[in-house]
Amino acid sequence: MELSRSVKRYDFHPIQRMLYSQDLIRISPFLKRFIKYPVCIVQPESDEEVLATLEISRRFKIPVVPRGAATSAYGGATTLKNCMVIDFSRMNSFEIKNGCAVAESGVVWLDLEKELNKAGYALRVYPTSAPASTVGGWIAQGGYGVGSLRYGDIGKNVEWIEVADFDGVKRVKGNELKYYVGLFGTTGLILRACLKLRENREPSNYAVKCSFKESLNLIEGAYHASYMNRSLSKMVGCGDAESLLLSFEDQKSDLDFDVELGNKIWKRRFYLLKAAKNANIIFTEAVLPYETVSEFYQKVGNLAIKAIFTQDCVVMLGILPERGYYSTALKVVKFIKMAEKHGGRAYATGMLFPHKKILDEDIRDYKKAVDPENLLNPGKAMQSNAISKLIRLAEMIP
Amino acid sequence: MNIQEIAARCSRCGYCNVCPTYRVEGWESVSPRGKIQIALSFLNGNIKIDARTVKDIFKCSVCGLCEEVCPIDLPLIDFWEELRYVMSKNGYAPLSVHKKLKEITYRYFNPYSGDQDRRDEWVNFEIKPSKTLYFAGCTASFKLQNLAKATANALNKLGIEFTIAGRNEYCCGSPFLRTGQKDIFEKLFERNLRYWERAGIERIITSCPGCYRTISRDYPRIAEEKGQEFNIEVVHTVSILERMGRFEEVEKKVKGTYHDPCHLGRHMGMYDEPRNVIRKLGIEFVEMERTKEYSLCCGAGGGLRSQFKEISFEIGKQRVLEAMETGAEYLITCCPFCEYHLSKSAEKLGNKIKVVDLVEIAEKLISP
Repeated sequence: MELSRSVKRYDFHPIQRMLYSQDLIRISPFLKRFIKYPVCIVQPESDEEVLATLEISRRFKIPVVPRGAATSAYGGATTLKNCMVIDFSRMNSFEIKNGCAVAESGVVWLDLEKELNKAGYALRVYPTSAPASTVGGWIAQGGYGVGSLRYGDIGKNVEWIEVADFDGVKRVKGNELKYYVGLFGTTGLILRACLKLRENREPSNYAVKCSFKESLNLIEGAYHASYMNRSLSKMVGCGDAESLLLSFEDQKSDLDFDVELGNKIWKRRFYLLKAAKNANIIFTEAVLPYETVSEFYQKVGNLAIKAIFTQDCVVMLGILPERGYYSTALKVVKFIKMAEKHGGRAYATGMLFPHKKILDEDIRDYKKAVDPENLLNPGKAMQSNAISKLIRLAEMIP
Repeated sequence: MNIQEIAARCSRCGYCNVCPTYRVEGWESVSPRGKIQIALSFLNGNIKIDARTVKDIFKCSVCGLCEEVCPIDLPLIDFWEELRYVMSKNGYAPLSVHKKLKEITYRYFNPYSGDQDRRDEWVNFEIKPSKTLYFAGCTASFKLQNLAKATANALNKLGIEFTIAGRNEYCCGSPFLRTGQKDIFEKLFERNLRYWERAGIERIITSCPGCYRTISRDYPRIAEEKGQEFNIEVVHTVSILERMGRFEEVEKKVKGTYHDPCHLGRHMGMYDEPRNVIRKLGIEFVEMERTKEYSLCCGAGGGLRSQFKEISFEIGKQRVLEAMETGAEYLITCCPFCEYHLSKSAEKLGNKIKVVDLVEIAEKLISP
């Protein structure tokens, strides 16, 4: 009743509730007992509808779980409590303002990029899941993507964001962004973001067959660079050798590298999932400092590996064929533990790794201040949950 | 892979968010990803489904765009058709209008309630026996007879001898195969095949991509399942025009864009032939933003238009608007069903662009 008065699009259907209880993450039948179906799904079309939903949440003490395209592999949109899912996909308009894109939370990155390109602009960074993932979703998870070598992580490419919490809507920028970027909506719901742009120039792409160590000396000056080892190149249909992709914003005439393969890898930059064509796979990710990444690569190079080079670190992706859910999950955990031994860290927290010390210490206090009833995506980012506790146990296995 | 295995392979990446129906409806239960999850849970016996969920599953034009963007290349067109069949087999389908169309077709052998004796009403030439058959299809026979006439004229001008089946032509069964109603499809297949065998048909020409896909891809499969032989060559008119046609150019310079019918494009991989013909006609050709493999569906197929008119017209209008954005005066297509639906959609937008079938233009310009 309350919802119908304030929100146009909502659904209580049991099948819909089942569908909105999960995201990209694959959960075993045993672990499914820790997942609770939401009580309803709301699709707001305006700030007012988001605020009205938050008011219902506050009044009836029903948690809310924000959802973009549910493409996170960290369980950010998985529902752990009886809650209302706020699906932002209908808030999907954007405008170009003073050389920036002001995009609502539900805008799909690739849709935005295509529209910006028509106006002569381009995104500085976007995720490799751009065909599906949304502006709000990626900012809420935080992380690196295409363009991060030159422009850094998504947090560095946001001028400001507008968030909704129980006090209303506020604009956040500068150092305060750290209270929202990578927090999975646990401190406020991202309504829109002002994104920094660049001039749209067709990148020039080159592939270089080289060792991982050599690749570290070749990436300077590129706007985007990634590396695939031989097993992954084969799995995604990009040759049968290890290859470094170098993408430059300007045309380069002095490089004697493989343009054809470079363009092929560039065109497939969103299609890492092609690795899952013949068998189910599970991804594992870690962030490594440049100083130790070669050593780390030596240790994990027997897996199918992709590295994405960024301004200040390297994101290492391991692709594991799913041979038994729990044994593969253990390998995921080991990969991250290995990264930590080399001074690295898990890529994100979400539902899986809230115990990892990725976030600043003062963020917990901030959460308590803005969400005293713990209604904003509880059990995520910095709060443990049944599944993360099991992961902690798994981490103890030597 | 059976459909259960296909569903289990879905990675839930969400790249199929391009689905035209999902973009209109917006709920996960209508997205290909969501439907696959529903199917998986249903086939595993974990959930019970109700009428609303069945409707959501059928909110799909089986356009195949999801298959095109799927990173792990799941055969989703076959998946949707098989899933619909499973729904029907278990008593959850057909949906009301689809069922009604089946009943009509059982009675009239076409879904338009057209009098079977008047199927060849459009014929204005003497019918002679031939091993080549022009299979006009239900839409051209009963709704867009100009297309049937134009196709026949084109074939005559190109010197191709052909015959027509008249009252012995039955619906190819495409609308029923797409909506999970294999029983009537198989009956129509048998009737058509029986006549073709009797008449010694070796080649079939179709002007409808739905018939083209069904007769060239589905008939041989069904024949094999039934242990029957199917050795008939099937061609779409546009490939004949491309291969054999010499054309005069249009008198007045006009700008045209081309809509890829899903059954001709994504389902059968025919993209270049119609474009080549358009260029040969001297039409200033412009592409729409979404084209070829990534073309937006017209919104009519897969039983969507018959059962879910609003969604279907919403998609149709989006496609017409996309065509209008190119500045083209003509929206050209190669499918009577697309032409019919896009014309009606254009009508709703004030008829600012003219929707035409390529054969109708090309036929007039074939050089003697």
